[in-house]
Amino acid sequence: MKTPATTNKTLEVSASVREAIARLQMQYVHAIDNDEIERWPQFFTENCLYRIISRRDYDEGRPIGVWYCDSRAMLDDRVSSLRGVNVYEPHCYRHVIGPTEITGHKDGRWQTQTSYIIVRTMHDGEMILFSAGRYLDAIQIEGGTARFASRSVVTDSWRYDTLIVIPL
Amino acid sequence: MSQAVATRPLKELVTWPAEGYTRVPFNVFSDPEVYAWEQDLIFRGPAWSFLGLDCEISAAGDYITTMVGDTPVIVVRRADGGINALVNRCVHKGSIICFEPKGKRDRRHNFVCPYHNWIYDFDGNLTSIAFEKGIQGKGGMPGDFDKSRHKLTRLRVETIRGLVFGTFSEATAPLQEYLGPEMVEHIERTLYGKLRILGRYSQLMHNNWKLYVENSRDNYHPSLLHAFFTTFKLNRLSAEGGTRQDARNWHHITFTKRFTDQGDQAYDSGMIRAMKEDYGLQDPTLIDQWIEYPDNITNSIESIMPGFVLHQILNSLGTRQVITRGPEKCELVWTLLGFEEDSEEKTRIRVKHGNLVGPGGLVSMEDGEIGHFVQRGIKGDLDGMAIIEMGGRDVGSMPTRATETSVRGFWKAYREMMNV
Ligand code: FES
Ligand SMILES: [Fe+2]
Repeated sequence: MKTPATTNKTLEVSASVREAIARLQMQYVHAIDNDEIERWPQFFTENCLYRIISRRDYDEGRPIGVWYCDSRAMLDDRVSSLRGVNVYEPHCYRHVIGPTEITGHKDGRWQTQTSYIIVRTMHDGEMILFSAGRYLDAIQIEGGTARFASRSVVTDSWRYDTLIVIPL
Repeated sequence: MSQAVATRPLKELVTWPAEGYTRVPFNVFSDPEVYAWEQDLIFRGPAWSFLGLDCEISAAGDYITTMVGDTPVIVVRRADGGINALVNRCVHKGSIICFEPKGKRDRRHNFVCPYHNWIYDFDGNLTSIAFEKGIQGKGGMPGDFDKSRHKLTRLRVETIRGLVFGTFSEATAPLQEYLGPEMVEHIERTLYGKLRILGRYSQLMHNNWKLYVENSRDNYHPSLLHAFFTTFKLNRLSAEGGTRQDARNWHHITFTKRFTDQGDQAYDSGMIRAMKEDYGLQDPTLIDQWIEYPDNITNSIESIMPGFVLHQILNSLGTRQVITRGPEKCELVWTLLGFEEDSEEKTRIRVKHGNLVGPGGLVSMEDGEIGHFVQRGIKGDLDGMAIIEMGGRDVGSMPTRATETSVRGFWKAYREMMNV
């Protein structure tokens, strides 16, 4: 269950598919970083899976990470919780993502992996490197719009600072 | 082995207020000398500390590394099936010997220090020194150096229901006696199957370790600080709550019980499907659950002195191990558990209830920061003290959540161990 298969050299990916996937990756991080979290669930299909799991647990094949949402409605619940329920100090993220590698195509979905780092800035100005890792995605394209059927955020570290209320 | 040798006597460092355990002097949360004493008197003192799980070291030669307070420890499975715990510190120059989270020594049952290859058996005996006799007659250790006089410090080890505990002190009572019958019964009730690790992560907290341990015993705060349960009407799930303690008031269980009559629909499989109209959740499958225990307790936090917690939040089961990281930081290692016997459906429910706990826990993520709030708040007034009088001025079990009796119990245990 380690890394997805390395790029299949014969995998044909049209420019429009590449563009749709790249647009999704960019819009996802900008929605979060620009505090438009309400848009975040829209990047997923209705029966999506979104989870945050440490690299060690992922490699060991363990099922539980720090987040596990198996529907878009659960993502909406996460959004209402962070907006109106949970108590936390104001902070924001800055994502930097690497180029997306398309690793396969299965059941109508594109398998991809993308590296990321997230810097967290607190309201008092304190900044830390909050998370680094990779997104392992299965992306579905319909009518030119790409959505995550599944997104596993595999964090390189298994230690999390304080709390994770904003999605990675 | 002592960390506090260079510090002043505790009596000079801590003056406990005359009110007793209804007051806590703020300086115990930040004073580095108090911290040093705690390492000696608590973590290396007469207390059982959680070391890990039996199932992590199932075969002879399997080992894991962990911490007891500031002290690095190796936990290893012996050839005869027993478990040894050794201080992970070479007697030569003090290097840690095992530097991976887990490993296996199956060809030879020994540990080799990476620095100069001194070798220890699983009982901690120093069995070999590289170049002990020198090279071609030159160098080597003095002829009268006696290897048998140098060994790794060994902890006493006991297990209960797959949980491995260790203690440095000969004075610690046997584990079952240390825990007391109430705590033993609750551990045995909670961990009724063969343990399986479903996930593990750690949460870094910017507060003294005691602020977290206090929090784990504070059943006054949850409905006030953690709004998730009330906002989404999940408090409908629970009726009575309370707290139980052992005879010495060192350890605590806080719990809530389920209402026996409520609108949810129970299915043949025993699963209880949450109804959307009843809760504010878009996807109420988050809290689909089954009543796992005949006592109808749906949430319980069992907190064992000094730094171990066993939780049941709906069907999420897990252990939490507090690791000290200096006076103003600590780490909480969460291990989420299921049983080998669980059906796929039950595992799926446990996975979803994982959303309620940990640093991303919808219900309790605030616990990761609240200690930091206190740590920052008290900074300006180390002469001050906390007030702990909710539910009276005494310790002992109480059939209510509007009490801090278990927090007082923690300070009672602390004062007894520290003799302050
Ligand atoms: S420090 Fe271990 S052999 Fe030298
Ligand atoms: Fe809490």
